[in-house]
Amino acid sequence: MTPHGRTPHAVGGHRARERARATVTILLDSFLLLPIGILVALIWANTAGVSYFRVAHALRFIVNDVGMAFFVGLVTEEAFEAVRPGGALHPWRRTLVPLVAATGSVLGATAVYVVYLRNRSEFMLLDGWPVAAAQDVTLAYFIAKAIFLDRRGPIAFLILMAIVSNAIGIVSIAIWHPANPETLPLAVALMAAAILLAGILRAARVDRIWVYLTTSGALSWIACYWSGIQPALAFVPLVPLLPHRPRRVGLSAEAQRATPRRLEHIFKYTVQVVLLFYGLVNGGVVIAGEMPGAWAVLLAALVGRPAGILVSIALAVAVGLHLPTRLHWRELIVVSLAASAGFTFALFFAAAVVPAGPLLNELKLGALSTVVSAVLAFTAARLLHVGRFAGHRLPAGHSVSA
Amino acid sequence: MWRVARLLRCWSVALAGLAVVSTASAVDLALPNRTGTVKFVVLGDFGSGEPAEYQVAAQMAAFRTRFPFDFVITTGDNIIGGQDDPADFAEKFQRPFETLLQAGIQFYATLGNHDKAANRSYGPWNMNGRRYYAFAVKNVRFFALDSNRPDRAELAWLDDALARANGDWKICYFHHPLYSDGVKHGPALELRVLLEPILMRHGVDVVFSGHDHVYERLVPQGGISYFVTGAGGQEAHSLRRSAATAASFDREQTFTAVEVDGAELRFQTVSRSGDTVDAGMIRKRGQTSPGGAR
Repeated sequence: MTPHGRTPHAVGGHRARERARATVTILLDSFLLLPIGILVALIWANTAGVSYFRVAHALRFIVNDVGMAFFVGLVTEEAFEAVRPGGALHPWRRTLVPLVAATGSVLGATAVYVVYLRNRSEFMLLDGWPVAAAQDVTLAYFIAKAIFLDRRGPIAFLILMAIVSNAIGIVSIAIWHPANPETLPLAVALMAAAILLAGILRAARVDRIWVYLTTSGALSWIACYWSGIQPALAFVPLVPLLPHRPRRVGLSAEAQRATPRRLEHIFKYTVQVVLLFYGLVNGGVVIAGEMPGAWAVLLAALVGRPAGILVSIALAVAVGLHLPTRLHWRELIVVSLAASAGFTFALFFAAAVVPAGPLLNELKLGALSTVVSAVLAFTAARLLHVGRFAGHRLPAGHSVSA
Repeated sequence: MWRVARLLRCWSVALAGLAVVSTASAVDLALPNRTGTVKFVVLGDFGSGEPAEYQVAAQMAAFRTRFPFDFVITTGDNIIGGQDDPADFAEKFQRPFETLLQAGIQFYATLGNHDKAANRSYGPWNMNGRRYYAFAVKNVRFFALDSNRPDRAELAWLDDALARANGDWKICYFHHPLYSDGVKHGPALELRVLLEPILMRHGVDVVFSGHDHVYERLVPQGGISYFVTGAGGQEAHSLRRSAATAASFDREQTFTAVEVDGAELRFQTVSRSGDTVDAGMIRKRGQTSPGGAR
């Protein structure tokens, strides 16, 4: 018996529960649930493919078309709050170079993707170009944080660029899906009603997010589904009308928690669970034979995107725009490589533009493969003595002797 | 200058094709060739414009002198590489199959991963702008599918179309194989999970696919006879036989001739050189005695 009157068994059980709670917290805070889901899916798909795809297809609707609406809404909220007064993208002059870099990123990646596939005569895969343009904000953040440590400039630049790149991709996907002519008028009316209702709720100073989501959110989802637009985009037109508090990118974690955003505040852990299942449902790629689509996505991400970023920034500087203060070209090279990871967003874009089948399988493998950008970014940082490796750089005139 | 080179190249491959014709009369006909039956050829992955395609086409034309098939169904990759210029279609389709086209043979195509989406509007392929479609010839219903983008609308259409085809032979054809022992690509497992329940639910009899440049006839899966007929003219791939392989051939290009007579479907697969590499009979599902090889 312990001094507190507990038996050793009770103490052991309490410690086990505490360890489990700590483990879950680490998994949630470190965004590890998505990679875990993907890993399980990869192993399952390549060992018992038929059973995997049966389960994945059974879950696909609820995960991809319903659950992911919360993830996309949360990301959209991030972008919207960045452009509001007090946000990192406000005023617009602060965002010019990241905007230019994001545009260059999309153009560079898309160009490499298209050229590669045309050379291989893989014309059916050309429609998947948004996959090449996607950037994984979370993974890029972790790579940049691991390299640049507390240097906020490069991290903020990377995050802004990723947000804009994905916004370009999301708009492209919304335009991409051909509207169903028969239901389009009703879908447009429903979407208008959804937006109007959200506006009314906002004017009435309704402060509960659930009211917005269950009323105008539901109408918007139905409108997207009927019109053929990816239903996970349902909350995107409503985000500007939701109650918001401004957020600044680059704040310390403590400062960020002091100013929580509403969707993130409510759905942060829910979205993590959704991402676990998202990885499980979409990460199962059968790795077999030639997969030109996978190579196209990978080359676009690792070659096209960094080239597009650097060329566009060079052009921007040439016409008189200024780089963010204390951001050196060597750091930009590392940032452009860190931005190469498509991963989550590339998976999402792939599932949104190509239906389940052989072509989607190739695009998803390419999306997952872009995780190697972490290795490239670290290697470049070491070679260029950037971030955590800056201290290894020797003064001019000095060299290492054998 | 490049047009001259192109023309010279076409003539050389055409001459190579002529050399094949003389061997065609030596092909043993393994089909009954009765009057009033449904006769067609299955061809896939052929549109390369290379000598092999011309030779296969010449072999088909020569074969038709003994087995007068009425139309051709294709399992995709109907044209490879450049396909923006009308000269590409001339080189890779119209000239190789000139004899058949002049005889009024219709081609009913599906698109493969190397085809452009716009090719569904190419008149001689009878897709009429559609990604998927169906047509009937006597007691045989054909369902041409788009395996590149099998969306919900297509699956719903297939489910409905098959449900209305009771009593007839049901033959589906599309590019990516649900079952294949081809080394380069293999089976499309996710597509199998999507399509197979629909095919089995409605008692589809035969499925033809391409993508792997081999010929393979598989042991019936769920009562459905699957063929991989992707060796129409492109470079041949290799195949690794499995327990599911009933017959296979991967040494050169092939085409498969089919005759449907009542409750029996007979097939004969002929190589570019004029050898019969497989032949057999499949009985309509629901009838007595399953089919088998010769």
